Amino acid sequence: MTVVITGASLLIGALLGLPLVAARRSAWSPLRALATGYIDIVRAIPPITWLFLIYFGLPQYALRLDSVSASIVGFSVIASAYMAETYRSGLLSIPRGQWEAATALGLKFLPKARYVITPQAFKVTLPAVAAYAISLLKDSALASTIGVHEITYQAGLASRATHQGLLAFSIAGLLYIAMSVPLAVAARRVDRVLRRKLEVA
Amino acid sequence: MELATERTVSPPTLGGVKVLGLHKSYGKHAVLHDVNLEMTEGEVVSIIGPSGAGKSTFLRCLNYLEVPTAGTITIGDSTVDAGARRPDRACLDRLRRVTGMVFQNFNLFPHLTVRENITLPQMKVLGRSRDEANAVADSLLNRVGLAAKSDQHPARLSGGQQQRIAIARALALSPKVMLFDEPTSALDPELGLEVLAVMRDLADEGMTMIVVTHEMHFARDVSDRVMVMADGRVLELGPSEQVMTAPTHERTKKFLRAVLDR
Repeated sequence: MTVVITGASLLIGALLGLPLVAARRSAWSPLRALATGYIDIVRAIPPITWLFLIYFGLPQYALRLDSVSASIVGFSVIASAYMAETYRSGLLSIPRGQWEAATALGLKFLPKARYVITPQAFKVTLPAVAAYAISLLKDSALASTIGVHEITYQAGLASRATHQGLLAFSIAGLLYIAMSVPLAVAARRVDRVLRRKLEVA
Repeated sequence: MELATERTVSPPTLGGVKVLGLHKSYGKHAVLHDVNLEMTEGEVVSIIGPSGAGKSTFLRCLNYLEVPTAGTITIGDSTVDAGARRPDRACLDRLRRVTGMVFQNFNLFPHLTVRENITLPQMKVLGRSRDEANAVADSLLNRVGLAAKSDQHPARLSGGQQQRIAIARALALSPKVMLFDEPTSALDPELGLEVLAVMRDLADEGMTMIVVTHEMHFARDVSDRVMVMADGRVLELGPSEQVMTAPTHERTKKFLRAVLDR
C-alpha cells in the first residue's frame, strides 16, 4: 500500500503539475493568480489535515471515499503543487536565449517544449523530483491515521498483537530505508550520467 | 514558396527587406522611433552605434522576438503589420521562416550534438527526413570548416566554433535574410576573426544580411551600407565608405572617433 499510494500520487501529481505550471506562467494574470493561490494554499495546509479534510470532511457534503482513494487524492493534490514548483524552478534555470533561438528558428510551441526545453529542464529537476518522491514515501505513513493498511499501520497492528513495539516499528523503519535509499542512489547515478552526457562542467 | 510573383502592393525585390516606420516602446519609454530600412536582395547592411541605441531591439523586431508597437515589416513575400494588435500566427511563422538569426551568445542547444543542433529544426520546421537533414548538416559543417566536430556537444567547442555552428544551424533552413546580433561580441578577437571570415564568405555568395556589430572593419569593408543608430533613431544610412570616412552627423563623428581612434 505504501508503494501504491506513493507511486500513484507521484504520477498523478506529476501530471497535474504540468497544466499548473503552465497556468503559473500564463500571460493572463487571473489564471496566474489562481494557480499561485492554489499552490500556496495547498502547501500551507499540513498533509495530515488534507487527509482528514478529504476522508472525514468530504462525506459531509459530497462523496465518501474509501481510505486508500482518499489518501491518493490527498497526496496527489499536495504533490501537484510541489511538482509545479519544481517544474517552475527547472524552467527558470533555462536561459532565455534557448527559447529565443528556438523561436527564431521557427519551432512551434510543442516541438520547442519537447525537444529543446524539457530535456534541459529534466536534468535540473531530476534531483528535486527524487527528493520529493522520498519525502512523499515517508509522508505516506500518515495514511495510517485514516486506516490505510500501509507499512506503519501494519506495524501498529503487529506491535499491539505481539507487544513487540520496538521490533515491529524497527522493521517498518527498515522497510522505508529499503525503499528510500535505493531511490536516492539511483537518482544520484542518473543525475551524474546526465551531467556527464551534457558536459556541464 | 520559391516563386512569389504578383503579390500585394509594392513588394520589395524577392528576398529583399522593407521596414517602414518601425516604432517600439515599453510603456511610455520609446526605444525605437520611426526606423526605416529598405534593402535589395543580396545587400549587406551593418548597424553600428553606441550601446542602448536600439540596434539589437530593431533587429529582434524583424523576426518578432520583440514585438514592435507600430510599423510594417516586409521580408521576401511576407509582410507583418505591427499596427494590428495581434498579427496572425501564419504571418509570424512565415517571417521566421525567411529570417535566420545568429545571437551574441550562440544559443546552441547544449543537450544536442552539433549535428543534431542543425538537423532538429530542419526536421521539425521543414519536415525534412533525417537523411536529408543530415546531408544538409554535413555540407554546411564542411562549409564552416567544422565537419570533424559533428558528434561533439557544443560545450566542448570554442566560442568561435560554436558561433560558426549557430550560423550553419540558421542557414540549414535556407533563410532569405540573415540577422546577426553582435555575433562576435562574446568572442576574443582571434576567435572573432574565424566567425567574420564565414560571414564574409556568406556575403560574397550573395546572402542578404543585417549585422549589428562593433566590428568597424567589417562594417566598412564587407557591408554595402552602414546604418548608424543612437537613442532609438537612425542618424544616417549610406554607403559604407562614405559613412565610415565622411559621416555627416555630428553624433556619428563622435561615435566613430571613439571607436576608431583608440
